[in-house]
Amino acid sequence: MNVVRAVLIKELKDGLRDRRALLSAFLFPLLAPVFIYGLMTLVIKQNTESETLTLPVIGQSYAPALMSQFKEAGFTLEAFVGSPEAAVRDKTVELVVQVPEDYQETMANFELTQVLIIHDGSRNDTRTIVRKVRTLISNYNNELAALRLIARGVSPKVMQGVRAKNSDIASDEQRAANLLNFIPIYVLMAAFVCGLGLAIDNTAGERERRSLEPLLINPVTRTSLIYGKWLAASALAGAGMVITLILCLAAMLALPIDELGLNFTLTAGQVLMLLLTILPVPMFASSLQLLLGLFAKSFKDAQSYVGILVFIPVVPTLVMQFLPIASSFWMYFIPIFGQSLMIKEILGAETIPLLAYPAAFITTFAMSLLVCWFTGRLLNQERVIQS
Amino acid sequence: MIEVSRLKKTFGEVVAIEDVSFNAADARVTGLLGHNGAGKSTSLRVLYGLIKPETGYVKIDGIDVSQDRIAAQAKLGVLPDGHGLYTRLTTREHLQYFGRLHGLSDERIDARSDDLIRMLDMQGIADRRTEGFSQGERMKVCLARALIHDPGHVVLDEPTNGLDVMTTRKVRELIAELRTLGLCVLFSSHLMHEVAKLCDDIVIIAEGRVVAVGSPDEIRAAAGEDNLEDAFVLLSEKAVRL
Repeated sequence: MNVVRAVLIKELKDGLRDRRALLSAFLFPLLAPVFIYGLMTLVIKQNTESETLTLPVIGQSYAPALMSQFKEAGFTLEAFVGSPEAAVRDKTVELVVQVPEDYQETMANFELTQVLIIHDGSRNDTRTIVRKVRTLISNYNNELAALRLIARGVSPKVMQGVRAKNSDIASDEQRAANLLNFIPIYVLMAAFVCGLGLAIDNTAGERERRSLEPLLINPVTRTSLIYGKWLAASALAGAGMVITLILCLAAMLALPIDELGLNFTLTAGQVLMLLLTILPVPMFASSLQLLLGLFAKSFKDAQSYVGILVFIPVVPTLVMQFLPIASSFWMYFIPIFGQSLMIKEILGAETIPLLAYPAAFITTFAMSLLVCWFTGRLLNQERVIQS
Repeated sequence: MIEVSRLKKTFGEVVAIEDVSFNAADARVTGLLGHNGAGKSTSLRVLYGLIKPETGYVKIDGIDVSQDRIAAQAKLGVLPDGHGLYTRLTTREHLQYFGRLHGLSDERIDARSDDLIRMLDMQGIADRRTEGFSQGERMKVCLARALIHDPGHVVLDEPTNGLDVMTTRKVRELIAELRTLGLCVLFSSHLMHEVAKLCDDIVIIAEGRVVAVGSPDEIRAAAGEDNLEDAFVLLSEKAVRL
């Protein structure tokens, strides 16, 4: 125990004095919330600010009734001259609506009239406005058809068949939580990023500066050395992770998320549960980093191996995105996966089986211990000592 | 008392040491002499418990290093082949860390650190971070670190390698002082004159084998050479031819 404490104190002292590494380690938790705030503000702006849209139209005069529908919907119409395809491709306009010259004629003959929407389907930013224009035209079509039926003495009701009706069972919090997908990614990533420098310096660095040999000739078990190093790296990673969590939540609370018709609230209980959930994650991350750090041939090698680990927290979200499986209890047993799931569920104010907390905590913690034990064993191997 | 008996160690195809046996007695300085690559460092690495021999054993005061590494290491003060420092820690913090790893109380560490800092003339660098230390200053920190727990046996792998004259002298003085304190001192070197000057006993090692053991006079007699350096060269070359 005294050995573990001695190593822990030394590694933390050493690590905290490495200002440059520390700065780069904590840049992530400090930058992530700023990034979130900026990105989300942009999303909210795009979703709420669509009142003063200009719509380039060719042949406005052919369809005055349709045009007044557009104006009523808040569009400012603008006569378009030139090649609409070229303009859309150059991104000088978002889309062009083309009314055919024979609009009135076909209309009078009760033939099908086609109004052309020229747009670029690969552009994400114009998708909303294109959908809006299409809906408007479709609504106008329904109105027109109804009027024609009335003119013939038929009730427009005969046109009514089946219509889909939406009933979204997700609560406002849940739908907001969907927007919060990135929070588990960021928070868990912080656990992998913030202790990384210390973990590599602790292992591959120790060998590179040839201080591993003097360390190993001390009359102590090698696993106790690893436990000390592990706790030091975990402490730093944990600090970074908690800072990231707090700043991310603060950013979410500061956002005008209600403008999206969503709701995001946070209780002290939720924060407590979140902290409890993520606590073993830095321990797990650091244990893997130490293992790879010792396994690597050099400092550079270690950096690239450990760098790959940083992407582990993205995996659960990706998996859930592409394989939309319902969360079941066994998932909580998988380190990182369980925590990722639980963060989302806690933020979405969903009920989590109470046993999930100890399940996730114990398996993740136990796996970290196992990895540390294995790393300690590795330190007994001559191949590892002698680089 | 250090007993080394019939050590053999291979790394893959390479035979690092073939057959190494010698004793190092208390209150005496024993020099392990050999060319680069003769097997000095490998022998010492086995001795201080970093690697395990294929055959043979090392006993420190009767404790087998392979069987009870921790008890044996507690009796050893070692300057290993690789002796890096932590650049962000001060001299005193190095001593503190290693003292704690040896299970010493903080009061003991402080008292012992003061002694060692005086002994090695390190007052000027005691509270400075080791970043930018000269070769000699670094060596002093390593030596102090090895001696923090007041060991009965001191093993130094090439302690004067790359040092200037002043520091080399300091190291030699230290070795002599440790002997008068009754310690068992074992050090390796490839410098004949250094070993001749400092040692009570000499172990010459070549091609992974001990080729001669004895006092400087005995070595000269065995080789039939008056000059110890000639004796060393002769005995080493004989081993290569074998």
